[in-house]
Amino acid sequence: MAEPLVVLEGVNKHFGPLHVLKDIDLTVDRGEVVVVIGPSGSGKSTLCRTINRLESVDSGRITIDGKPLPEEGKELAQLRAQVGMVFQSFNLFAHKTVLQNVTLGPMKVLGKKKADAETRGRELLERVGIANQADKYPAQLSGGQQQRVAIARALAMDPKVMLFDEPTSALDPEMINEVLDVMTSLATGGMTMVVVTHEMGFARRAANRVVFMDEGSIVESSVPKQFFTSPSSDRAKDFLSKILTH
Amino acid sequence: MRTPRLASVAAAAAVLSLLLSACGGDSGSDVAKVDENAKEQFAPGSRMKELADAGKITVGTKFDQPLFGLKGLSGQPEGFDVEIAKLIAAKLGIDEKGITFVETVSANREPFLEQKKVDMVVATYTINDKRDMVVDFAGPYFSAGQDILVAKGNPKGVKGPEDLTGLKTCSVSGSTPASTIQTKYPQAELVLFDNYTKCRDALGNGQVDAVTTDNVILSGYVDQAPDKFELVGKPFTEEPYGIGIPEGQEAFCDFINKTLAEAQENGDYAKAFESTAGKVIKNTPKLPTPPRGCDK
Amino acid sequence: MDAVLDNLDVFVEGFTTTLSLTLLAAAGALILGTLLAAMRVSPVPPLRWFATLYVQAVRNTPLTVVFFLVVFGLPEVGVIVSFYRFAVVALTIYTAAFVAEAVRSGINSVASGQAEASRSIGMTFSQTLRLVVLPQAFANIVPPLASIFIALLKNTSIAYAFGVFEATQAMNRLINDNGSDVIAIIAAAALAYLLLALLAAALFSRLERAVRPA
Repeated sequence: MAEPLVVLEGVNKHFGPLHVLKDIDLTVDRGEVVVVIGPSGSGKSTLCRTINRLESVDSGRITIDGKPLPEEGKELAQLRAQVGMVFQSFNLFAHKTVLQNVTLGPMKVLGKKKADAETRGRELLERVGIANQADKYPAQLSGGQQQRVAIARALAMDPKVMLFDEPTSALDPEMINEVLDVMTSLATGGMTMVVVTHEMGFARRAANRVVFMDEGSIVESSVPKQFFTSPSSDRAKDFLSKILTH
Repeated sequence: MRTPRLASVAAAAAVLSLLLSACGGDSGSDVAKVDENAKEQFAPGSRMKELADAGKITVGTKFDQPLFGLKGLSGQPEGFDVEIAKLIAAKLGIDEKGITFVETVSANREPFLEQKKVDMVVATYTINDKRDMVVDFAGPYFSAGQDILVAKGNPKGVKGPEDLTGLKTCSVSGSTPASTIQTKYPQAELVLFDNYTKCRDALGNGQVDAVTTDNVILSGYVDQAPDKFELVGKPFTEEPYGIGIPEGQEAFCDFINKTLAEAQENGDYAKAFESTAGKVIKNTPKLPTPPRGCDK
Repeated sequence: MDAVLDNLDVFVEGFTTTLSLTLLAAAGALILGTLLAAMRVSPVPPLRWFATLYVQAVRNTPLTVVFFLVVFGLPEVGVIVSFYRFAVVALTIYTAAFVAEAVRSGINSVASGQAEASRSIGMTFSQTLRLVVLPQAFANIVPPLASIFIALLKNTSIAYAFGVFEATQAMNRLINDNGSDVIAIIAAAALAYLLLALLAAALFSRLERAVRPA
């Protein structure tokens, strides 16, 4: 039985005169992996960022695990702790070591003891394959390694859902797979995920559902196989023909 | 005062009100009569001849001392010191337009004279030996005495300087009265500002218990706010006010002394006093005699 | 020169007060200025407005006027403390506005992604500022802070006109007592100010090297 975890209803958002999200309705069930694709400027990143309210919305309703997103403040911070986020540009804390990046949240937000946070942190670094880099600073790591640390940092909060905002777009091609592999194993492990990406391979392999966005609207939403073989909208067909030819 | 900037309007207004409250005296009548034939009287090469020929003189005075030298909204300093300066200038054949008044504060009077930035200083300038080492004094033209100003009703019961023990006593940094308290009555807790109007305001606010300086200055404050302040009224020093001139101008010094003596004779001195400080200090003094002499 | 050497104790007393005024006001301004900078970048509009107004108003007001308002304004509303404390308050209020601007520009120099990442793991605004943004901003705050605090050292001389016996007032007292040595006394005071300022500059340049990111 599907159990809705993230629900967006009638969400609208403007950047000045630009209507970037138009009446978005989207439900992500627990354990579901939703990949959001679409041309650049289609609003998919903004959509991702509204889910933990890094972007506020003009109208509509967003709930996470049944609770509507509160206004900026303590309550929102608590809710964000339950929503992991991975950014295109990694955004690791530049003044902290890899291990400190992974333990800061658990210690300061969840109130874990340092020793416990570090044990768990090392476990997670092991899981993403960079346990031996724990004491380095982010600037000493490659892009792929940094992004894997960022995933570990988000996982350290034991989130209910993970948001990925184009996590591989800033990576050199040879590093993309090491990050996608971690994400795939997360997906296989049952994590609820919303992934904005251009990686069609990942979408095919790991997604339960593909959401196609264009010009601020959700145009199509279907299982990967159906989306990639017989998309129903012309815009999706057009988009796929452009990216799959090369 | 320049047009205040946006954000400092409130601040400026507050300060302006403080400044305005400091401006009491009104314009003094001019007793000085310009001597038209001055140029011919002086020996060639003398300082007087130089000044008379130039038709100009630069005088250092205070701009913040009620009754003696106070520059108000009129833009011209007014007071007894200013009138004395005008008397001397007149004797040199220089009228009011030929006098440039420069503000001298306690700390810059000697340097201004040494560097000849001013031709003379008439600025409640107490004659003392250390000053006399670097400048010369004509006069004295007035003898003041250090006194104490307290809040109305004299709540601390101050009868003289010996009662200042442990009391916050305000004076001006770098002034003779401050020095006197420091050396003779060190048990007073001395608080120093850069001018006496701040001392007066601090006394008004109850931030200090007493203000001490020459009685004539303090009288001015009593005059401005008789319901707030009173004068203890027992001067405990003698402060002979002299006219500072650069060293080595004995003839000029003698000339000033002669001019002062004449003014006492013909009543100009009394008129100058009565039109300024005399408005508050009822007993018009005589010119202190004898002058201390210019040959030192 | 004798007037200076004979009265070294007066100079020392004055400069001790100058130094303590500087240190106390620096500490106060650092705290108040950082708070103001935090308000300026906070998500709460009234706090932002207040801090902006404060910085603009104070920065564009002459220090002497700030002193006037503190020393003669606060007693009007019943606050009467020693002139020394009033001086610390006036200098703190004034310097905080400049510190706030330095801290704010330091905060702005930290990539916005750092704050977003911090918020996204559930840290509050103040945690984000304290644990993530300010530590990284610090390297960019130190250089302007050095000039602000050296200016503060010199600004303490305004206190001489408001009842505080500090270096400038010490100088004035000596000038009055030693009319023959005015230039030597002023030169000695200027030299002492200069030495203190150079000392402060040296300390800050060490600090700057220490906090510069590797």
